[in-house]
Amino acid sequence: MNNIEEILWNYIDGNCTADEQKNISALIEQDEAYKLKYQELLLLNKEYAAIELDEPPMAFTYNVMEAIRTENAQQPLKAAINKRIIMGISMFFVLTIVLLLVYTLASVNWSAGDVSANIPSGFKMPDITSYITKPVMMGFLFFDVVLGLFLFDTWLRNKRVLKQA
Amino acid sequence: MQSKLSDIELIQQTLSGNQSAYADLVKRHQRFVFTLAMRFAKGREDAEEIAQDCFIKAYRSLASFQGQSKFTTWLYSIVYTTAMTFLRKKRLDTDSIDDENTYIQVENQSSGYDVNNAETKSRSFYLNQAIGQLLPDDAAIITMFYQGEQSLEEIARALGMEANNVKIKLFRARRRLKEKLEQNLKNEVKELI
Repeated sequence: MNNIEEILWNYIDGNCTADEQKNISALIEQDEAYKLKYQELLLLNKEYAAIELDEPPMAFTYNVMEAIRTENAQQPLKAAINKRIIMGISMFFVLTIVLLLVYTLASVNWSAGDVSANIPSGFKMPDITSYITKPVMMGFLFFDVVLGLFLFDTWLRNKRVLKQA
Repeated sequence: MQSKLSDIELIQQTLSGNQSAYADLVKRHQRFVFTLAMRFAKGREDAEEIAQDCFIKAYRSLASFQGQSKFTTWLYSIVYTTAMTFLRKKRLDTDSIDDENTYIQVENQSSGYDVNNAETKSRSFYLNQAIGQLLPDDAAIITMFYQGEQSLEEIARALGMEANNVKIKLFRARRRLKEKLEQNLKNEVKELI
């Protein structure tokens, strides 16, 4: 399979074993055909290596960076938000609730028959009974129904998309 | 002035939100990426589109670059796939790029150059002309090997081929380039006589 040219290219590229390299060096020195071909390929190798690179337009880098900036700006907010930040906020609230629960449970006098928490004397629960009126309750129920319908619609749409996929 | 930082350092800076680091990376590799794109597209506008698309794709998936290979090898593999997708989009059957008879010879790349004046033609002009007449795969392999200074293994990784296959393709590409060069020079001499 190997002809002179292939052997010599392997030699020039350094893809030969030490023994092969030694043999080919000897052939180049002794054999005129090898010597001439080797010189020709060396010259070609030098020419190929000297091929100049094309120059892109002046504004190429600017255009690339502008395209990246535009793409980032068009990114939906959902994808742009760092999930780790959301996780951090969630963890803060979960931790706060857990700590409050632990504190409340720890301050309960379990030994007493009537279980009661040690609420600070100055603490007064706000009176919310005046806010629970009929229109407020109707509004609350209406909101719940709309939210329920919205979630049901989303679930049905997702189901359809999955079916189509 | 271009940054003296290594590719890996620039990538790390880009990933930590410094976009100007990526601009430095683009500046550093744009000439080669554009040249490689030219090997496939044969027109400056299309090559610019491929090269730009390639850098945007690289930016998007920069986090997935694990540094196991050279950044350039990874980048050239993106150029290759982007160019292939581009050619497919342009309704050029990818099989046809392996068939020299159906390959479309496109206009001379060095526009603005007086092609009829042999005296003004440099050695580099003839080489660029000959490489422009090669099949895209051949031209890309030659460009990656000589101008991109990629090893056979790295080219193989970028093109998704076996190293041995690349070695054979490189050998054939060199021979075809030599033939094209000789043919063009012969025609030139004939024209002068």
